[in-house]
Amino acid sequence: MNRRQFLASAGLAGTTVLAGCGSLSSQSTRAPPLVENRPDATYRPTHAEGMGMAGIAQAGEYMVGLSYSFPHRFWTVTGTTAEKVDIRSEDSVHLMATIWDPETEMVLPVSAGLSITIERDGETVADKSPWPMISQNMGFHYGDNYALGGDGVYQLSVRVNGMGERRLGALEGRFNEAGEATVEFDFAQNTRDQLSFEEFPDSQGERAAVDLMNMDMVPTSQVPEVSALPGTVLGTDKGSDGVYAVTWLQDAAFLADGESYLAVSARTPYNRVPLPMMSLDGTVEADSETLFEDALTAAVHPELGYHYGAIVETAAQAPSVSVDVVAPPQVSRHEGYETAFLTAPSFSFASG
Amino acid sequence: MTERGISRREFAKSAVAIGGTAALAACLDRGSGTIPRGTDDLSSLPDRQHAWDASLATDDAGNHRLSRHHVLLLFDYASDGPPTDADREQVESALRDLERAYEWSNEGLLFTLGYSPAYFDRFEADVAGVDLPEPMALAPFEDPELDTPDALLHLASDDERAVIAAEEALKGNRDTVNDHEMSATFEGVLREAERRTGFVGAGLPAENQDVDGVPDSEPVPEEAPLFMGFKSGFKENQASEDRVTVDSGPFAGGATQHLSKIRLQLQQWYEQDSRDQRVSKMFCPAHAAEDKVEGVGENLGTDNGAGECPEDVVDSGRREGVVGHAQKMSRVREDGTPTLLRRDFSSTDGGEAGLHFLSLQRSIADFVATKQAMNGTDVANDSAVGQRVNNGILQYMTVTRRGNYLLPPRSLRSLPRANPDT
Repeated sequence: MNRRQFLASAGLAGTTVLAGCGSLSSQSTRAPPLVENRPDATYRPTHAEGMGMAGIAQAGEYMVGLSYSFPHRFWTVTGTTAEKVDIRSEDSVHLMATIWDPETEMVLPVSAGLSITIERDGETVADKSPWPMISQNMGFHYGDNYALGGDGVYQLSVRVNGMGERRLGALEGRFNEAGEATVEFDFAQNTRDQLSFEEFPDSQGERAAVDLMNMDMVPTSQVPEVSALPGTVLGTDKGSDGVYAVTWLQDAAFLADGESYLAVSARTPYNRVPLPMMSLDGTVEADSETLFEDALTAAVHPELGYHYGAIVETAAQAPSVSVDVVAPPQVSRHEGYETAFLTAPSFSFASG
Repeated sequence: MTERGISRREFAKSAVAIGGTAALAACLDRGSGTIPRGTDDLSSLPDRQHAWDASLATDDAGNHRLSRHHVLLLFDYASDGPPTDADREQVESALRDLERAYEWSNEGLLFTLGYSPAYFDRFEADVAGVDLPEPMALAPFEDPELDTPDALLHLASDDERAVIAAEEALKGNRDTVNDHEMSATFEGVLREAERRTGFVGAGLPAENQDVDGVPDSEPVPEEAPLFMGFKSGFKENQASEDRVTVDSGPFAGGATQHLSKIRLQLQQWYEQDSRDQRVSKMFCPAHAAEDKVEGVGENLGTDNGAGECPEDVVDSGRREGVVGHAQKMSRVREDGTPTLLRRDFSSTDGGEAGLHFLSLQRSIADFVATKQAMNGTDVANDSAVGQRVNNGILQYMTVTRRGNYLLPPRSLRSLPRANPDT
């Protein structure tokens, strides 16, 4: 049996079962119509799905958690355009990978990304690089829909690339290299179909968000509360629905004498999910002098989390700062985020 | 249907990929006219092995159109020490037979024979006048196997019978090619280590899209010359043969050759990306915004127009969130012209959609610089563009093998010494 026949027959079997039971797994149930007149902001989606674990493994310095849910629609982002990806009839799961640092338990949005190869009985079932994406209940992860060939044991091989983001503090010097791991995923459609599937007919479309899911074995991707950010918080701004917190560090261990650090923490409202893969410009002024005017660099730090920052040569304690979003986060979106964070706001905080 | 249960059409389309005497027999049986004969005046052939352009067809716009069918044969030299004169003469005689059998053209047969760093290791001297480094990984996100065979033979023709028959003749599996008797073969001198095949040209990718890496929806357009659905190798975006030719030393008239094997994963490309996203990623976002590319890009004429994309790629990536493949490549020009001459083609080797990226350049350093531009690591580090996501077409490809070769001039193509002047 060749690959096409294999997939075709598997798909056919699935169709038969669906026709027979005619309920849970049908497309229309699994993807209720989108909310009409969605706000250009984070909104409560039509439904939320449960999640099952496929496996956990160490890949070099990284930890990788693989989980799955029902296949679902999502949106890829190029520039300021979100492009809808529909569920294909042959899709059997939405597969998600979460990458974290086992020492700090910080979820790492690695823009270098990862690739996943799925094999079964020595045959390649799928081979692609899932999209970096954000979801209200799953936070930041890498995900895509996959067509598996029915129940069985699949080998999921993950290669996580080395980080290009600046790593600060205890993360300095780590995650330079790619890591690889393989987990065995025992997939059963029955088990998948028992995952929760909750619809929100009364509250869908409201400016709110579904809560982040608490997972036993995988940390949640959340940046700190604004009040917990290190340094002097110069201000927060809602921007176009994203929430930006700007903090000014002067005594961080990674700074040399006479240096300060500007950090912009961009996160979703409600859930504080980091918004990676943005272009930001920053300007720092003190005493009418421009001390810094340049691009901010994506970085991770154990206490700041994922953020955009710049080292500024100054001892000024409360500078004026302005931030321009040059490009919004180029991460794919689950429902409820696809109309948010697609514009490029600017904001500033004057020294007071 | 044949006895093997494969329809004739099914079989014919993969004859080069299958190779061997059976494939050739089916091809010959199917027949389609004569293949032009070669010349007995071998001195009339160009001094450069890679002098193909003058003998290729051109498309309506005037771009050179690469031969449609390709075979790459990687060989090991049968002995560890320096080659003997007898072996050298045997290889040369076999190649001359091919030149007498087939016209030096896309309709007949074009070929090159190159040598790897592993081959030259058998000599005490370094390769004279040419830097031929060992192949290596050229991006932080790739982990290719590195080719170690001694030699690479590239056979190309519009007629699949020519490439298969030439291969079979060199291996000693047939006595004649195109009614010309072979006086010598590679037998006992060059031993096949690996065989790769491919095709380029309208219709072929669409016909051959039933492979891993291309979704079942059969999305490859009929007129696409390559699996990704766009034309490439525009005249103005290619180095000239002069530009890639080694210009001094004993190997003057030669060129360096890089060969990588790339696995393509096109489900997201075809089923998730929109047309605008594909044009943005292959060319540049401005091409998408201005609707510059029609269909597979025939309307672009002889220039992909990347010169009109924003020149500062990092700045453009910061503003647009995406950079195009052609846009990144256009950064690598010397005196206004590209440094690489691409002769790449699609492949179904191993049942996977692939690309054999074969390029010629004066120096392997030219290739490395071009590849670095394609990596766009600077763009990724300083902008919203990911290292692979929205960074040209990197998201859809995995480099699985790399090899570097020296193509000597024709006069030195048969088992050359590292320093031919000694």
